[in-house]
Amino acid sequence: MSSSSHCNSLTLRACPDCDLLQELPCSQAGHAIYCVRCGHLLKKTCHDSLNRSLAFALTGIFLFILANSFPFISLSALGIEQDSSLFSASWAFYQMDRPFLAILVLFTTIIFPLLSLIGMVIVLIAVKMKRIQRTLIAPLFRFLMSTDAWGMLEVFLLAVLVAVVKLGDMADIVIGVSMYAFIALIIVLTLLSLSLDPEDVWQELRKGVKQ
Amino acid sequence: MKSSQRNRQTAREAGLIACHFCHSLVKMPRQRQENTELHCPVCNSVLHSRIPYSLTKTSALLLAALFLYVPANILPIMTVIFQGAGQPDTIMQGVLHLLEGGMWPLALIVFVASIVVPILKLVVLSGLLISIRFQSQWNPVERTRLYRIMEFIGRWSMVDIFVIAILVALVQFGNTASIFPGLGALSFAAVVVLTMFAAHTFDPRLIWDNMHD
Ligand SMILES: [Zn+2]
Ligand SMILES: [Zn+2]
Repeated sequence: MSSSSHCNSLTLRACPDCDLLQELPCSQAGHAIYCVRCGHLLKKTCHDSLNRSLAFALTGIFLFILANSFPFISLSALGIEQDSSLFSASWAFYQMDRPFLAILVLFTTIIFPLLSLIGMVIVLIAVKMKRIQRTLIAPLFRFLMSTDAWGMLEVFLLAVLVAVVKLGDMADIVIGVSMYAFIALIIVLTLLSLSLDPEDVWQELRKGVKQ
Repeated sequence: MKSSQRNRQTAREAGLIACHFCHSLVKMPRQRQENTELHCPVCNSVLHSRIPYSLTKTSALLLAALFLYVPANILPIMTVIFQGAGQPDTIMQGVLHLLEGGMWPLALIVFVASIVVPILKLVVLSGLLISIRFQSQWNPVERTRLYRIMEFIGRWSMVDIFVIAILVALVQFGNTASIFPGLGALSFAAVVVLTMFAAHTFDPRLIWDNMHD
């Protein structure tokens, strides 16, 4: 087999869900491809996946900082005002002697989302610059992909909605600036996950590896 | 070999291992020595043709989740102190309060996320395990799809935990009105985490290994 990685030909892939071998056309801007046997999505359809994803990830970091800098909701009752930021949600559990819950909330709403954004920027820039240190970038991207399910900001947004409704009739609620940044962040994260095809990154990382 | 014939072959049958993370295909060595790990040349993860001890791990995690499911639903997830009097709330009571407030769309969402989804995950994953044990031939496409749905919806059960976190952070007005997290919340969070891990360790390719066509 030639070492050239320009492929007009077909690449062989095994479906992650049913292990069936099948040949995928290698074109960058084709249509989405599903496993012929179990229907698993093997290749997304997005054009220019890496550039777009990088733009979304950078925007995401900016919004993440904004969303964490101010309280997103505040409650006033009896002349006292209480406010909550993303961080104070997990801090509240810590103060109530529930360290497991505090750590769970901290990781799912702050640490994993932030790490995945920063990590994504590092991986995508490395891939774009063609300066790939595979020993660093590949394990980093692997980590990002395997912890993907643990960033739960969109679930947190639903929880904010439920909390607002629950408190609505007993106190005055003020929505803070961070709330808007937070909603924008969720939109950007959704666009990021829609536009990024991990296969495009792996294809770059696979270049030059003897198979 | 003709490509049409190759189309009906799995990676394992072709003597290949697909990396779980980067999907690179690697030749399975003819003679595997004991205790030697095979590493992916691209991402350096340990290669396995199937997730090792997938069924055992998944059953153990499901069993643990099943045990914790009981306290998660019986114990209060939070205690609301209002004008000196404390009122403990379980998951179901939380849903009912939303319903009483006339918020039925939200009540429905919380009901699905906190009650339907955990039960569904426990039942469906156990069903899939049993179907593999007994080499069921029942519709593998549907079973794989069920698995993918379970993997996708599991995280939404965390919504109740986040609601409690926000309420506890916001409602701290001493004896007049305060909210404290309960032991039920801890058990419920553990159920969610355990079932998420159970879905991660389940290997859907085992459904297909049993099919003889
Ligand atoms: Zn498949
Ligand atoms: Zn790999």
